[in-house]
Amino acid sequence: MLNKYKFQTNLMRTVVYIVLVLLVIITIVPIWLLLVNATRSTTEIQQGLSMFPSTHLVDNYNILISKGINIPRGFANSLFVAVASTIITVYFSMLTAYGIVVYEFKGRRFFSNFIVVLVMIPMQLTIIGFFQYMSRLGLTDNYASLILPLIANAGGVFFGKQYLESMVIQDLIDAARIDGASELHIFHNIMMPLAVPGAATLGIFAFVGSWNNFFNAFILITSIEKYTLPMVVKTLRGDVYRTEYGAIYLGLAITVVPVIILYVVFSRYIISGIAMGAIKE
Amino acid sequence: MKLTGINRNYYGYFFIAPFIIGFLVFGLYPVYNTLALSFTDYTLMSRGGSFIGLRNFQVLFADELFVKAIKNTWLIWMLNFIPQIGAALLLSAWFTSVRLKIKAVGVWRAIFYLPNLIIPAVVAALFNSLFAFYGPVNQFMVRAGFLPEAMHFLQNANIARGIVVFIQWWMWFGQTIIIVMAGMTSIPVHLYEAAMVDGASASQMFRRITLPLLKPILIYIFVTSLVGGMQMFEIPYLLTDGRGAPSNSIMTNNILMYMKFASSKGHIGAASAVGVLVFLMTTISALSIFFFMRDRDDSSVDKTARKWFSKKNKS
Repeated sequence: MLNKYKFQTNLMRTVVYIVLVLLVIITIVPIWLLLVNATRSTTEIQQGLSMFPSTHLVDNYNILISKGINIPRGFANSLFVAVASTIITVYFSMLTAYGIVVYEFKGRRFFSNFIVVLVMIPMQLTIIGFFQYMSRLGLTDNYASLILPLIANAGGVFFGKQYLESMVIQDLIDAARIDGASELHIFHNIMMPLAVPGAATLGIFAFVGSWNNFFNAFILITSIEKYTLPMVVKTLRGDVYRTEYGAIYLGLAITVVPVIILYVVFSRYIISGIAMGAIKE
Repeated sequence: MKLTGINRNYYGYFFIAPFIIGFLVFGLYPVYNTLALSFTDYTLMSRGGSFIGLRNFQVLFADELFVKAIKNTWLIWMLNFIPQIGAALLLSAWFTSVRLKIKAVGVWRAIFYLPNLIIPAVVAALFNSLFAFYGPVNQFMVRAGFLPEAMHFLQNANIARGIVVFIQWWMWFGQTIIIVMAGMTSIPVHLYEAAMVDGASASQMFRRITLPLLKPILIYIFVTSLVGGMQMFEIPYLLTDGRGAPSNSIMTNNILMYMKFASSKGHIGAASAVGVLVFLMTTISALSIFFFMRDRDDSSVDKTARKWFSKKNKS
């Protein structure tokens, strides 16, 4: 009886591991092919499939830049927008969340529920009205139109609220008040340092969200010098590169490698952060 | 010493004020502006327009392409969401199983989440290359004997749609696993222990304990996925020609909205009308799922547990 149970458990475990390995293959192979093909010449790529890198990385890079694409500039633009977006999102989300968690003002519950509703509203669909409004203000083709709306980032506030609820210590706030600290001082100098792990997690998501954002930038940014990385990638799909497979793969791979490196370093925070945003303790 | 006598609660308003101002200026006003534009024939060329009532909406409802875009978006979303939630439930059950004791759960999860971090525009361009006529998929299929000769995957309506569905699944199943699993591990172990003492089977425990207690999390995933899915853009846009080809099979709401916006005259009145309709459709769907599926009473762990035990005792 016990042996049979043990046998069944082992059998099931084997099946599970096989499924997991298959899923890993499905997950990794497209990315692996991207990296490998970035090092292969267009002829090699057309001749056949290979899982092993070749020697044409530099050639591909030369072809890539010879056609007028400016990946370093796209990188710098994306980095600027993503860093600014991250700072704005983290600061204002934490500020708002702190207000909800610490103060029992009238309408707090309503405001808190309102945030939850806002998370579920597809704001991207109002991009046309947003665009026309920004163009009246002269803010189209300006990164401000991508960054400033993040002052009111409902998802960020929701996350910040979940996090602060689990860590704000009323005694600490009271003690600081006795010492005569102002409310904003308490937030900046006492609570924020304690909330660094949560803020960092929120920051990672804000950064990735901005880094990956294509649609808003695509509509709001028009001059080529201001293109962010996803927009630069879009030009790789254009006619100029039609037959330069090696160069296309390399262009895509350049955007992926830093993300993979960052992920290897921060995966712990990222994975715990995903769960934190969704689960009410 | 108690400080509650000093009321500083009104400070809360100062803390939330920037959010409210930001929301009014960058959130609510664009909603109003989009709605207002949808009643006009405003174009980017004319930089002006006049009120034309509901004509934009009439045109849209008569437009087969609009109907097709709505249908496609729902279809593509549903076809990727169902296997996504299925895979997440199954894998989470395996990962948290006391019986199986799967090793290196963190590593598996981390790998499955990786595609979500890659720029969607890059993912779309990558799959365009992978499924190209001279691309790796054709090379593999022909060499392995699955296909007699290379084929144009991206010129076949069903295959192109299938690829979009697959990409969406590929990008999101890892994240769904992480959320579902976090929900499962937050269920108190003593519930399972008690059920086990009562002789419940694994599938009974899954249906009677795990699923009911996961409900809030499942609703969260459902709603956020729906809202994201209705705004799907990059993947279908950059996979083929950006106009929903082949034969409009991957034309989505946002692609149609963008096409109206980027048309030679820039019909932003008509584009706004698309935005307004999809906005209403999505918001109503999302909020009704959220409010109707959520338990009216607070479904605390103990309450669900009590229900399950009393049912057990009656039988």
